Amino acid sequence: MTTTTEQKTLPCIAVESLTGCAGELLVILDNLEQLLPFVRIVSFPFAQSKNECGPVDITFVEGSVSQPHDIEKLKRIRSNSRWLIAIGNCAVWGCVQAGACSRCHVEDMLHAVYGDESPIKALPARPLSDFVHVDAMLSGCPINATQFLSVTASLLKDHLPYITHKPVCLECKLRENPCVLIEKNLPCLGPVTAAGCGALCPSLGAACYGCWGPCQSPQMAAMATILQEKGYQLDEVLSRLQTFGAPDTLFARMKPDAEVA
Amino acid sequence: MSGIERRTIEIPEICRVEGHSAVTVDISDGRVANVQLEVFEGTRFFERIVLGHQYEEMPHITSRVCAICSTGHVLAAVRAIENIFEFKPSVHTNLCRQLMHLGMIIESHATHICALALPDFLKTPDLLDFATKHQKEFEVWTKLRNLGASIQTIIGGRPFHPVNLHVGGLSRYPLEQDLMPLLRILDESRTYALHLCDLLSGLTLPIERTAEACFLAVVPDGPGYGYFGEVVRASDGWEAPVANYKEYLNERVVAYSHAKISTHLGGKPFMVGAMARLFFFADRLGKTARSVFDKSPLASGKACSLWNNLAQAIEILEAIEQSIVFVEQLAAGGFESEGATHLDGLVKAGRGVGAVECPRGTLYHYYELDEKGKIVAADMITPSAQNTAQIELDICTVVEQQMALDPALLQSSLETLVRAYDPCNTCATHMVQIRSVKAK
Repeated sequence: MTTTTEQKTLPCIAVESLTGCAGELLVILDNLEQLLPFVRIVSFPFAQSKNECGPVDITFVEGSVSQPHDIEKLKRIRSNSRWLIAIGNCAVWGCVQAGACSRCHVEDMLHAVYGDESPIKALPARPLSDFVHVDAMLSGCPINATQFLSVTASLLKDHLPYITHKPVCLECKLRENPCVLIEKNLPCLGPVTAAGCGALCPSLGAACYGCWGPCQSPQMAAMATILQEKGYQLDEVLSRLQTFGAPDTLFARMKPDAEVA
Repeated sequence: MSGIERRTIEIPEICRVEGHSAVTVDISDGRVANVQLEVFEGTRFFERIVLGHQYEEMPHITSRVCAICSTGHVLAAVRAIENIFEFKPSVHTNLCRQLMHLGMIIESHATHICALALPDFLKTPDLLDFATKHQKEFEVWTKLRNLGASIQTIIGGRPFHPVNLHVGGLSRYPLEQDLMPLLRILDESRTYALHLCDLLSGLTLPIERTAEACFLAVVPDGPGYGYFGEVVRASDGWEAPVANYKEYLNERVVAYSHAKISTHLGGKPFMVGAMARLFFFADRLGKTARSVFDKSPLASGKACSLWNNLAQAIEILEAIEQSIVFVEQLAAGGFESEGATHLDGLVKAGRGVGAVECPRGTLYHYYELDEKGKIVAADMITPSAQNTAQIELDICTVVEQQMALDPALLQSSLETLVRAYDPCNTCATHMVQIRSVKAK
C-alpha cells in the first residue's frame, strides 16, 4: 500500500450517486484493494466522511436524475471532472424507474402518493447523458467488477475505454448453453439485451430479463414477434421489454395498435 | 443569560449511510422544539413501478429497491406471492433461501459495521486512512464481506440482485461441489466475527443513554434464531399476524421528507433490527453467540441504540454457525428432485403479505394479483421507514442530555447515533401508496 505522500501525486477519483439502489457503490467498495494503490479517492460520501469538492480526474456517477437536486449536483460534478463516467443501468438508461415512467406520468404518481399540495419535486427518471456530456457509459445492474476495473485501468492510461454493447446471446453461445428461448419457450430477452453479465440467467436455466438495458441496435419488433409466437400477450411482452429502461424510441414502430407479426 | 435562547443544529448531509439524508434540530429555551430526519433521496415509486407486471417478475424488479438488502426484497416478494397461491416451498428450497438470507445478513452487517459505523470510533477520515492504519479491521471487513458475497453468489447467481430465486423455487439448485468450499471459509470466519464482537463490546460510546425503545420483530418459524415468520411481536407484550400490518403500522407522509414515517399502536415510535431481534430471541442463539451476548452490554438491558452495531456483530457470528449447518444439510443431498417450478395450476387472484427480518429490521411486501397473476396493487414497508420516528426521538433525548457540549462534538454524536440504526434511505423512499393510479 502506498504512503500518504505518494498518494498526493496519484490521479484523483470521485464516486458520487444520484437516485438509485447504491449497487454500483457497493461494487466499487468491494474492489477497493485493487483501486487504492493507483488512485486517490477524494470524494465517496457513501463510504468516507472527508470529501473534497475540487477538480477530479475521473468521477463515477451512479443513479438516475429523478429530482431537480440531482440535476444541480450532476452539473456541479461535470464542471469539476475531467472524465465523467456513468455507471450502472440507472445512470445509463434510467433503469426500472424510467421503465415505469414510459407507462405513466410522474406527476400522477407524486400526487397519488404525497397529495396534491406536496412540495416534493419529482422528475421522470432519466439517464445522465440527457443533461450533461458523459465520457463513457458502463451499464449493468449491478456493473460487472472486472469490466469496471478494466475501464478504470484504461482511463488511468489516459484513453477512453471501448465498451461493447453486443447482445447477451453472444456470451450465452460462448458458454455453450442450450437456448432457453427456443428449447424451453421462456421469455428470454437475451437477443435485445446488452452483454457483460456472462449470460448469467440462461446459464442457470432461466430467462434473461434485460437488466443491463438494450444492446446496440436491438430488434425490438422481431423480439416481440417471436415472443407472441410463443404465446405471450403483446402487452406483457412490451412491459417486459421496457422494464429496465429501454427508451420509447426503440418501440416507435410497434405501439400496441400497430401491426406486429 | 437573558431572553430565550434559540438555535438550530443542522447536518446537511450524513455521510456513510446508504442514500441521502439530513438532520435538523431546533432548540428553544434549553429544550428541543423540533427534530427532523429528512430523506432527500429522489422518490422512486416502486409500488407504482410493479403495477401491470406479472408475478414472476417481482423478485427481479423489487430487488432494485436496494442493493445491499436485495435478497430480503426478493424473499419478501416471493413469500407474499406464495401466500396468495397457498404454495408451500420444498424443504430443499427453504434451506437454500435460508442460507441465501444469512449470506445477506453477513455481507450487509459487515459492510455497515466496518465501513460505515467503525470510522467514527477509529477516527479515520477516509478509506485510505482506514485501509492503511487499521489493517486488521480492514481484513475482517474484506473477509466477512467476501464470505457473504460468496454465499449469495453460489445460491443466487451474483453477490446482490440475485437471479436464481423465483416464486416456487430456484432455477438451479447448488451442487455439493459448489457448496463444500464454503465450509472452510465459514470455519475461518468465526475468528473474524469474534474479533468484531470483542472490538465493539469494548467501545466507549459517545452517548450513554437514548430513549426507551419499544421493540418489534417477527417471531421466527421453528425453534432456532431466524428471519422468516408470520407473526410479529412487540416488547409491550402485543402480538399480531404480519398479514395485518396495515392495522398496526400507521404510516404517514411528512412534508419535510421523501420517506413516510411509521408508528406502532397509539402513535408510539418503535425500533426494529438486530437489537430488537436479540431482545426477544437471544435465548435461541447457538452456544458461541449466546455466550458473547450474555457477557455483552446488550444483556444488561440498558437503553442505548448505539449497541445495535454490536447486536449486528453477534448476528454475524450466529449466521456463520447457522450457515455451516445449512451447507452441510444441503451438501448431504437426498432431496426429492426438483424440476422447473410448476405453479401453473395455482395462479389465482388474491392478496398476500410476505414479511422477512432484513439486516435493518422487518420488511413487508404486499401484493394484490388478478386471476392471470398480474399485479394490480402493491405496498412495501421498509425497516428504515419504521425506525425513523424512533431515531427522531433518540436525537431529541441526546440533544437534551448533551446541550452544553461543543456543537461540533454534539453533531458528531448525532451522526454516530443515526449510523447505528444503519438507515437505508434508498429503501425508505419507496414508501408510497398509489393504488388510485391506473396504468395507461
